[in-house]
Order: sequence, then structure tokens, then C-alpha cells
Amino acid sequence: MKENAPFFVGYLKIPAKLHGFLIKVSVIIFASFVAGAFLAGASQDDPGKAGFRFDFGRQKLKGVLEANPYPLLHVISGSDRIDAGQTIMLTAQGKSGIMTDTNALNGRVVEATGVIVRRGDLDMLQVLPGQRGIKPTNEASILPASEPLGRWRLQGEICDGKCLAGAMQPGRGLAHKACANLCLLGDIPPVFVSSKPVEGEEFLMVGGADGGMLPRELYHFVGQFVEIEANVERRGDLLVVLVEAENVKVIK
Amino acid sequence: MNEAEAVFLFVKIWSAVGTVIALVFLTVGIDRIDEDARGAYVFRLLLIPGILFLWPLVIWRWMILETGRDRWLNRHKPPREAHFWVAVLFAVAIPAIMLLGLSQRQQWPSEFEPQQLSVEQGEIQ
Amino acid sequence: MSVKYIPVQWNPNKWKYNTIMLVSVFAYLWIFIELTPGIMANEGRINGQIHNARAFGSCAFFMLTVILCIGPLARLDNRFLPLLYNRRHFGVMTAFVALTHAGYILNWYFAFSSSSKYETLLFANTSFSQVAGFPFEIFGIFALLCLFALATTSHDFWLKFLTPRVWKRIHYLIYAAYISVVAHVSFGVLQDQQNHIFTITFMISALIVAVLHLMAALHERRHGDQMANLSDGWVEVCDISEMKEGFANIAMLANGERVAVYLQEGKLSAISNACAHQNGPLGEGKVIRCLVTCPWHGFQYNVTDGRSPAPFTEKVPTYNIRLEGDVVKVDPQANPPGTYVEPVPVKA
Repeated sequence: MKENAPFFVGYLKIPAKLHGFLIKVSVIIFASFVAGAFLAGASQDDPGKAGFRFDFGRQKLKGVLEANPYPLLHVISGSDRIDAGQTIMLTAQGKSGIMTDTNALNGRVVEATGVIVRRGDLDMLQVLPGQRGIKPTNEASILPASEPLGRWRLQGEICDGKCLAGAMQPGRGLAHKACANLCLLGDIPPVFVSSKPVEGEEFLMVGGADGGMLPRELYHFVGQFVEIEANVERRGDLLVVLVEAENVKVIK
Repeated sequence: MNEAEAVFLFVKIWSAVGTVIALVFLTVGIDRIDEDARGAYVFRLLLIPGILFLWPLVIWRWMILETGRDRWLNRHKPPREAHFWVAVLFAVAIPAIMLLGLSQRQQWPSEFEPQQLSVEQGEIQ
Repeated sequence: MSVKYIPVQWNPNKWKYNTIMLVSVFAYLWIFIELTPGIMANEGRINGQIHNARAFGSCAFFMLTVILCIGPLARLDNRFLPLLYNRRHFGVMTAFVALTHAGYILNWYFAFSSSSKYETLLFANTSFSQVAGFPFEIFGIFALLCLFALATTSHDFWLKFLTPRVWKRIHYLIYAAYISVVAHVSFGVLQDQQNHIFTITFMISALIVAVLHLMAALHERRHGDQMANLSDGWVEVCDISEMKEGFANIAMLANGERVAVYLQEGKLSAISNACAHQNGPLGEGKVIRCLVTCPWHGFQYNVTDGRSPAPFTEKVPTYNIRLEGDVVKVDPQANPPGTYVEPVPVKA
């Protein structure tokens, strides 16, 4: 301690010699926070145009329900936003897939009511709870046959389809992984984002090789960039990739 | 019960015990072991979260003060040597963690063309 | 302060301190939340909840960075001591900002499912065996618990109750918290960011903290208190010519205690270097009106008996002292706090 050095005591007046220094430090602290806010705030990545389309209004679609690997609707009679012949993935509100027993409705004509979540050409219909969302009809129908497209090697990312479609912005990547896993645990359809379009499709629904849901082991790969080797099928105008856990690896 | 439920059961029990300790300590104990607390009540509200959270520590110190086993010399031995080891730890851990994090970053395979391996559906290996 | 406890002891300097810090924090949050969405020329819109979570999370990180710079800066240059004075209030603010960040995350990413959001926080991601995709939320939770432990024990009651030594050890958790936050960011948001401005800002901030701590540690090694030599049961502090009126020389004893020896009105006195409040270095303080004043929070002691002036009741140990020729020596056996020791006149 130097003899003439200013000595600060909290409950006394600040020594005059320290005034200039402390004002400088205060300005630096304030300026750092201002600069930090601009740097961190304005440099966030663009999550892309996606989201709930409440502006489209409530959609009422009629179509054939296919239950596996995740519920989708082959639209017979559409709306001004969704054309007949389109195939749309179905989900429920929150982080839950459709609670209704879809297996019992597999291949039946249903009326689906809800709101569209859309990113580019990825559409998902978030249906209302219960019968208001999925209402079986007695109309006769035939489930369109799936068309096998062979075996493919793809690179891309396994996401939960709903957040990816815009339920969350941003809704993919590793920072979002826990949320994605939670959606998948809730039976929301997973979607594979391919590096480049496969047969014209950038987004593919993902199922297990057994035709059922995504194997639990693959939850560890969600949000990472992976290479997969798997069979691809066309269901209506939607592609489905059916993966085996052992044929997925992280891209180095 | 899954692990998450077990964790929250533990948190509930911990807080319940903490509540009892806080109640007893703040109404009876604190006046016995700290003369400065006598007649002062508002500040006790500020102590509640700390007691709920760290009640084993409270019991430990309470017992020491209650039984007169507090050693005055220990009150004047700050653990200053720890600063050096903190500096070493920071110098090693902070860059290491950031580099490990950066090394894990992936590049989006924007150039990768999907490859059709066979026209037939392949076997499940 | 050994008068009745009150919730917070205010004084004008604390008000100034808190005003500067709060204005900085509010400016940060306001700019991030209100201004930057207009600046970004993004096609898509980031969810409000995620945007807010990022504002509060990054703010807490920068606050923690500032807090951790204060300690080493004050050790390198004591003009920074006023920043140390009310650091606890800034720490409590940080805990609240971090808690708000956690709230946004919890009520967004972990809500809307059929399970409790607190449980989903723990089981949604279980990829503990991989580095990429590791549930980095755990690091955030740990840091938040540390901040909580610090904030809830920040009242002076805890210092006296736990003893400064135990209290300090608990408050060293801030270092674990910071490392944990660095991991939380490195394995979380850093994995996805394509714009690297935040990554660079974050890394520079954390490296400044690391470098300042290293500099302060080296400074302490070079210029820190010297271990005193023991001869015939007494330790040699210094030569009398090295003593300055109104100031102290500090000697470190073999057991780690430090003794502050003062020359005051031509007489020598020795007390413990560790203030009874937070163990601040009394030997680096100044004698003001016959009372040595701690450089950290201004606690005062009479150097002859180690007692605070009434109405305060703090006491520090004293040491017996003697002058052998020109050599100042102290008895390494401390006297119980508040024991009067007759000052030794220099000009015998």
C-alpha cells in the first residue's frame, strides 16, 4: 500500500483521486454491456421462414389415414391450402402425437381438423384434441399402396418434424436436441432433412426398419449430422425412410 | 419410478426437512447462537432460502456454536492458497472445454448427393 | 456489523454501484430483446421465448464474466477495490437473470409435453455417453445451483455463522459455476451457430477471465506476503527501517496465518491480517483515526487490542511483539481475539 494512494472506504465519500478512474470503469462496463447486446443479439442465425399458419384458418381435410410409422393423411378432399392427393403428416397439440388409437383407424377415411405448420414444402397438420381433430367416417376406402424406391445412402439430420416445420423457431440442431427428443417421445413424427433432395423431396418422414416408430437408440443421433443407409418408400407424395439403428453413423 | 421422479422426490424430502430446520432455527436457534440476531426479525426472511438449500451445513454449524466448540483461530485463516489453483484450473479448463466444443462442431453436408444403392429394398443387416 | 442485523445495509456508494450495474443490465436486455430483432435481416422470426432465453442467458454469462474479473483486477491494482465492495449485490442480480433464462427454457423447450417440465428437463436427453449431443442443460443446472447457493448465503449473517473460511469455500463455487457455464455454452448454442460473432465474443470473454486469474496468481507469487523466518520461538517480520507510519508489514507464519504489524504513532502493534468479517487483508488497509480500516468493506479495528470501536463488537486475534535491535519479531502464538498487547515503542 503506497502512502499517498487513494483509499476507498465504502461508507465514506469516494476519494477525489479515484473519481476519474471509477467513472472510466463505469463507462467501460456500461459500454461493454451495450456492445455485448448488439453483438450477441443481432448475430443470431436466421431460422428460416416457417411456423404455424393460423393465418390460413382452421383446415378441415378428409382423407385416408395411414397409421405407421407415424400417422399421415392421404388427402381426398382438401382445402384452399392443401390439395387433394397431397399426403400430410399429423400431429396433436403440444409435444404429443395423436392420442387417438390410430391403428384402429388405419386405412379408414377420416376428417381431420386443425392448423397447418409449414416450412417450405414440409407440411404438418396439428389436429384438435379427440373427435374434433380426427373424426372417422363410414366412407369406403383403399389405403394407397406404398411404392418402394430401393436402398439409399443419405446425409442429413434427424429432427422432430413439428419443431422443424416451425412449431419452434429455430427447431433443429443440438441446442434443440432435448426438445426434439421430448417431441419424439411424445410420438411426433420425426423428419429427416436431406443434404439434397431425394427424388425431389428434401424432407422425409423417418420410421424404423420394421415399419414402426423410430428406434430409441436413434434418439442419440437426433440433431447431429448423420449418414444413413436405408430403404426409402413413397407414400402418396411423401417419402418415408425406414432406418435400422446400426446403419446410422455420425458424419466426421 | 424413473430417475427423474426419484430426483424430485429427493428434492421434496430435502426441502421438507429444510423447512422444519428453518422454522426451528429462525425461531429458537438463531437467538441462542448469534447475539446480533436478537431483536432483529426482518432479515430472517432472507435466510430462509439458504437454510432450505443448505440445511445440513446449518445443523453442523449450529451444533458447533451451541456446544462451544467453535475455534476462534479458524475464523482468521482464509483459504487464500486456493486462488492459485483456481487460476491453474481456469487456464487449463476454459480453453480445453471451448476447444473440445469447437472440435465437435459439424459441417452441414451441403454437397452430398443422395446415392441410390439398389433399386431393390435392401436386407436388414 | 455487530449491531442488529438488517436485511440490507445501504449507503450512497452502494446505490451508485447498483445503479450503474442495473442500468448496464437493463440496457443489455432492452437492446437484445427490443432492438436487435429489427436489426437482423432474417427471413424467419425467432420465437419470443427463445429470443428472451438467449437475451437473459447471454446477459448472465457476461455478468458472471464481469464479476469474475473484479477479484483478479483488484489484486493486480487496488484502484479496482471499489468494484469488490458491493460485488455481492451484482452476484445476486446475476442469479436472478440466470434464473429467468432457466425459466424461459423450462417453459418452452421442456413444457407442452404430458410429463412435468422439471422431469422432462432430466430425461428428455440421455445421451450422456457422447460429447456432441451431450445434455448440456446439466451444466446450466449445476451453475444455477451454485449461483443459488451463493445468492442465498450472501447476507452477512452467514459469514459470521459459517465462519469466513467455510463461507469462502462455499463461494469458491463461483469458479465451478463459471467453468460449468463455459461448458453449457460450448456444448449447447456454440454447436449450432453459423454466425460466429457470439462464439468469438464468448471465447474472448472467457479467455479474459482465465488470463486475469493467471496474472493475479503470478503477481501474488512474485509480490505476495513472504514466509517469515523462525528464530528462538519468535518470527522475524522485517527490519524496523521497512516500517511506515500508519501502515503495516505482513508476515506469513508456517501454519498459514498472516500477521499484520503496524507502526502507529511511533509504536508497533501486531494483529491478525484476516478481518473478522470476510477475512479481508487488514495489513493492506490504512490506519484512519487510530483505527486500521479493512480495504474490502471498511471494518475497523484498534491495532492494540484487535477490537472494533463501539457499538461494533468484532474482534481479531493479536500477537505479542518485540523489537530485537532493528528486527521486528512476533510471537507466532496468536492471542485470543480482543486481547490487549502493550505497543512497543520504536525509539527506546
